[in-house]
Amino acid sequence: MRIDGYRYTWRLPLIVWQALFFIGPLMLMVAMSFWLVRNYRMTPDFVFDNWDRMMSRSFFWDAYEVTLVRACVAAVLATLIAFPASYALAFKVSDTVRRWAIFLLVVPFFTSYLVRIYAWQVLLAESGPINAVLGFGGIGPFSMLNSGFGTMVGYMTLVLPLVIILQTTSLAGIDRNLIEAAWNLGASPVRTLFRVIIPAAKVGLIIGAVFAFILSFGDFVSPFYLGGSKPPTLSILIIDTTKSGQQWPLAAVVAIMMIVTLFVVAVAAVGAAYGRRRS
Amino acid sequence: MLYLAIVFAFVFAPIITSMIFSFNSDRFPTVPLGEFTTHWYETAFSRPEVWEAMQNSLIVALTAATLSTALGFATAYTDYRYNFRFKSAYIALALLPPTIPLVIMGLAMLAWLARLGISGTLTGIIIAHTVMAAPFAMAICRLRLSQMDPALEAAAWNLGASQWRAMRSVVVPFCLPAIVSAFCLTAAVSFDEFVVAWFVSGLNKTVPVVILEILQGNVDPQINAIGTFVFLTSMTLVVVAQLLITRRRKA
Amino acid sequence: MAEPLVRLTDLKKSYGNFEAVKGIDLEIAAGEFIAIMGPSGCGKTTTLRMLAGLEAPSGGEIFIGGERMNDVPAHERDTPMVWQSLALFPFLSVRENVEFGLKMRGLPKRERRERVAVWLERLGLEGFEKRRVDALSGGQRQRVALARSLVTEPKMLFLDEPLSALDAHLVIRMQGVLSKLQKDLGITFVYVTHSQSEAFAMADRVVIMGHGEIVQTGRPKDIFRAPRNRFVAEFVGRNNIFAGTVAGGVINVDGTQLPLPGAADGPAEIVVAADRMTVSLERPNTAALEAEFVSEEFVGTAIICYFEGPGGEELKAQVTERELELLAPEPGKHFFLSWEPDAPHVMAVTS
Repeated sequence: MRIDGYRYTWRLPLIVWQALFFIGPLMLMVAMSFWLVRNYRMTPDFVFDNWDRMMSRSFFWDAYEVTLVRACVAAVLATLIAFPASYALAFKVSDTVRRWAIFLLVVPFFTSYLVRIYAWQVLLAESGPINAVLGFGGIGPFSMLNSGFGTMVGYMTLVLPLVIILQTTSLAGIDRNLIEAAWNLGASPVRTLFRVIIPAAKVGLIIGAVFAFILSFGDFVSPFYLGGSKPPTLSILIIDTTKSGQQWPLAAVVAIMMIVTLFVVAVAAVGAAYGRRRS
Repeated sequence: MLYLAIVFAFVFAPIITSMIFSFNSDRFPTVPLGEFTTHWYETAFSRPEVWEAMQNSLIVALTAATLSTALGFATAYTDYRYNFRFKSAYIALALLPPTIPLVIMGLAMLAWLARLGISGTLTGIIIAHTVMAAPFAMAICRLRLSQMDPALEAAAWNLGASQWRAMRSVVVPFCLPAIVSAFCLTAAVSFDEFVVAWFVSGLNKTVPVVILEILQGNVDPQINAIGTFVFLTSMTLVVVAQLLITRRRKA
Repeated sequence: MAEPLVRLTDLKKSYGNFEAVKGIDLEIAAGEFIAIMGPSGCGKTTTLRMLAGLEAPSGGEIFIGGERMNDVPAHERDTPMVWQSLALFPFLSVRENVEFGLKMRGLPKRERRERVAVWLERLGLEGFEKRRVDALSGGQRQRVALARSLVTEPKMLFLDEPLSALDAHLVIRMQGVLSKLQKDLGITFVYVTHSQSEAFAMADRVVIMGHGEIVQTGRPKDIFRAPRNRFVAEFVGRNNIFAGTVAGGVINVDGTQLPLPGAADGPAEIVVAADRMTVSLERPNTAALEAEFVSEEFVGTAIICYFEGPGGEELKAQVTERELELLAPEPGKHFFLSWEPDAPHVMAVTS
């Protein structure tokens, strides 16, 4: 066989590029977490000062807990809110309507997330349109901003379109005969849902939830602009430490903790999605 | 059905209100709405930094889209055509970037590009956006390739085309719709990305970074004006791409 | 003898531990219509792909026109192929598809147009030049694929199960088109198929492959009448295969003594074609097997009756419509099956 230059022309660019601009930066970040910071200057070293400093602070662990809990809530909430909608899109509407709905759900990806969050900021404000409308009915005003509720609204804005698309695709991919067979064998619609449809679409549902988790876990815009950044989340912590005063190594410690957490969650989810079902 | 309408209303509420508010005279809008105005557009577009940011965004988006589409196509083709050891690691490497939270990407990129001496330049943003957008381009191209009969490329060789010639006259034409949509999608991803761009941009800001900075300062409906403009630009890109593909199919 | 057009010596292909082709030797003469036939996974397509340069052999040699081809890349071989999926380029028109090979050879546009026109006319596709291939019927697409491969006027054409996607009636018609084309052009056709009827209807010579090896080579009629072993007999179909022990010119099949003059003593397998079987209601004077009727099948004008033999084996006999009426078979009814002494063919016993 001749040496096949063609093959490597297609294979190598990715390896080179990712090594230079993806693995490289991440590795540097890991290395940086062991560097020494003195008088606002970093020196390459191998010390655990940064790790000690971060891990011993209660505000780090508070932020960790808040971020983790909120991301879990967001994943569960997004899955529950999206499911009836996805179910309707997959089974109750025509193919044309479904295609249009999916197209509409892609539209938000082309609008600025920031602008959408700003719109919520206006909508949810104490004197904003929603409270004004509620006021006509004699209710409120509620303060919805700077709260966990505000953050959740932001997270849902970010993740719902994607979760619905993922769920709808996996639900629409279920063999109809399977569902009809269940009915035919005397399963009630509710039983069919839990015994046939949900197990068959399990992978899609879990992937949707994992994406909701990952996106919410890393987002800083919603907790900052709608949640009032109190308590701060891990991503806000990273921004604060990076943007104010060259504390990159400390930020790197937080970042590594986040990546480790995401990795554990992702592995657990893949295990749950593809693992054997317990009877 | 009602439920579906509510969910869609939630998803579209911020998009539609931001468009409405962009023409509304109140600084802090509420109901009833204020008067119709184009004031926010006028102020936004009279700011030189907005124009500069537009220009930067355009350069970054087009370059990053070109690079990431090329990278994504090459990777998708490799996955389609070849089997080799550590291929699953190769694919994982290709698809991993979107799973890394943006702030972390921003931090890592900032540190790395600073070491290379290109942080704060457009080149830095282009590199970061290419890393982030290439997986999407790869996914789109891979999907198209999976619809390609493996015999098609072999048929071209069989009829006397070298590997390169077959790539040019068969694989690329077959994948052209996917390549065009990958280009548009990655351009849109880059056009809209603000976290990593904010970390590495320095003085060369892109449009979303400017929005972010307005948002951090005095909240101002100019954001709505710029946002609506950006949205219409992106959507036009997508619709034009879609039309190009459909027309090609009919021709 | 002159050098054959194609010569394969000890050709091998393995994928990891799996040996797809286990060292085959084969010669193909110029102008021959040869069919390579076998069940799926027998290595027939792999062999064809090695000939076309789409797979690199793991061992052995390929000669085409006396020249060693092992290291010649696919695009430098003149071995056009018609694919099972046809592999027409969906983004090109009929003309552009047919023109492809000429374009790759760098022919000027005018000459390309002329030759394309000639071939489109030859295959009854004139007027379709500007059509897109997905707007054509199955038969038309088939002919575009043929034109595309033949327009460069090669010495041979490879066909990889080209008719398997067509409706039954179109298959018969395309068989006619292919046979005629091959005779008119006088070039070599190498036709890979798993269909016995296609191979036997068109080929001058049939190569039967099984498990990566050539099991038997010969004219269709010879293979049908004298299959070398059970594998070939079963694959060719419409045969009755009996295993038994021969002693003094008589074979003992499940307790029934059947004459087998001239056969050597010992274990033997014999085959009797379905059209050599006689079905009777009464026990005939000659030796016969008693069998239970199962069902009948209409194959063209002939009727195949299926029986269960004394050892539970499936037996087939071809009868005419008139005979069927007289026999009036019903499932479960018993009949006697017999044959002329010269009907059985003794096969090599496969262990």
